[in-house]
Amino acid sequence: MFSAQTTWLGLFSFGGVTPDLILVWVVFCGVRCSRAGGMGAGITLGLIQDSLSGGLLGVNTLSKGLIAYFFSTLKDKFFVEGVVPIGIFLVCSSIFDGLVFYFSMGTILKGEVASGFLYQLLPVCSIYNALIGPFMFVILDRIDGWVQPKVSNPYMGSTR
Amino acid sequence: MPNKGNKNKKNIVLVSAILLFSLALMTLNVKQEKGVRFLDSITGIVLSPFQNFFTQTIQYVSDSINHYFFLVDVSRQNDQLKLEVQRLINEKNHLLEHLASQKRLAKLMAYEDEWEKKTVVASVIGRDATQWSKVVVINKGTQDGVEDHLAVITDAGVIGQVIHAGLNTSKVLLIVDGRSAVDGLFQDSRVSGVVVGMGSDECQMKFVPNTADVKEGDLVLSSGLGGIFPKGLIVGKVSRVIRKKQGLFQEITLIPGSDLSRLEEVLVLLP
Repeated sequence: MFSAQTTWLGLFSFGGVTPDLILVWVVFCGVRCSRAGGMGAGITLGLIQDSLSGGLLGVNTLSKGLIAYFFSTLKDKFFVEGVVPIGIFLVCSSIFDGLVFYFSMGTILKGEVASGFLYQLLPVCSIYNALIGPFMFVILDRIDGWVQPKVSNPYMGSTR
Repeated sequence: MPNKGNKNKKNIVLVSAILLFSLALMTLNVKQEKGVRFLDSITGIVLSPFQNFFTQTIQYVSDSINHYFFLVDVSRQNDQLKLEVQRLINEKNHLLEHLASQKRLAKLMAYEDEWEKKTVVASVIGRDATQWSKVVVINKGTQDGVEDHLAVITDAGVIGQVIHAGLNTSKVLLIVDGRSAVDGLFQDSRVSGVVVGMGSDECQMKFVPNTADVKEGDLVLSSGLGGIFPKGLIVGKVSRVIRKKQGLFQEITLIPGSDLSRLEEVLVLLP
């Protein structure tokens, strides 16, 4: 997933915007895993993403960890199946992720973020993630279904 | 007994007749060829339909049997040829890719020769893992003399600057990133401004006065101020100009000189 994100995914860029597969993965983990598992996955994926990024280290660890925690905590209170809920989750997650980046850049680095970030780049990225998200969920569900029987132990119960 | 004598006579007569007839034919054949040819023709006309029928039937049966077994071989041969074609297509693509890479490198090397400074040719091996940063990873690091804050260019213009030089790889902040700022000037009017990234695939030229004569298609070059990018490198081309009635500066959008979404090889300008 990280290889795809950092290499050929640029071919699918739309106006310089590429989808964030890692964000979709984090939301997936949040929705499908337990609270501790989801949060652990979010932090781990965010940390790897930070190390593969040219941005401030820790921004993605924070945002991805919080997103995964949020969804793993509140998944029982929402209807989490179907294209529309997943799309809405991804729009909200993308906006949150972008705002964390925006405020961390503005406060910690005291750097100037591009003027059109909030009203141009952020909505486009959110919609792009929401469009690609349901397809990614199908793929991740398949992979999960393929991996799960191999790792689950009948004597220990399901990992979910 | 008389019957036996009659039989012998008959046999002698028959044998003699055969001998005489054949002798006559041979004699005719030698003396009068046309007559024999006529006989051949008659025979041919009468027999040829039967001959054709039998020949074709045998040929058909023979062909069917042969082709059935032959087709088994052809099927195998077809599979082998398909594999061979696939291999050749792959080889052709590989060679075309190699040729395109060589052409790009030749262009870069020609550019490098014109350049007075020392340079390093690097390949782009990765891109930023997030949506918000515009960073690429190149396959040259401190081992090759790459340091932080060195300019990275192609023959088409400025790409960005090194923000983190590792041992074997380096991160390059592209000019379209929101954190990037390059001092530039218009090639024609020589008015200067600051080129900042927009986070998408475009840049903005800031601090250009409303009175400056700027139009779409104008080239923006690096001014040399700031100490990272040498003077005269192409930064981008003006794609949109908005002059507001209220305000001091124009809103100018630039398209980078190089296609930053299709970067493959770049030049790092060494100090």
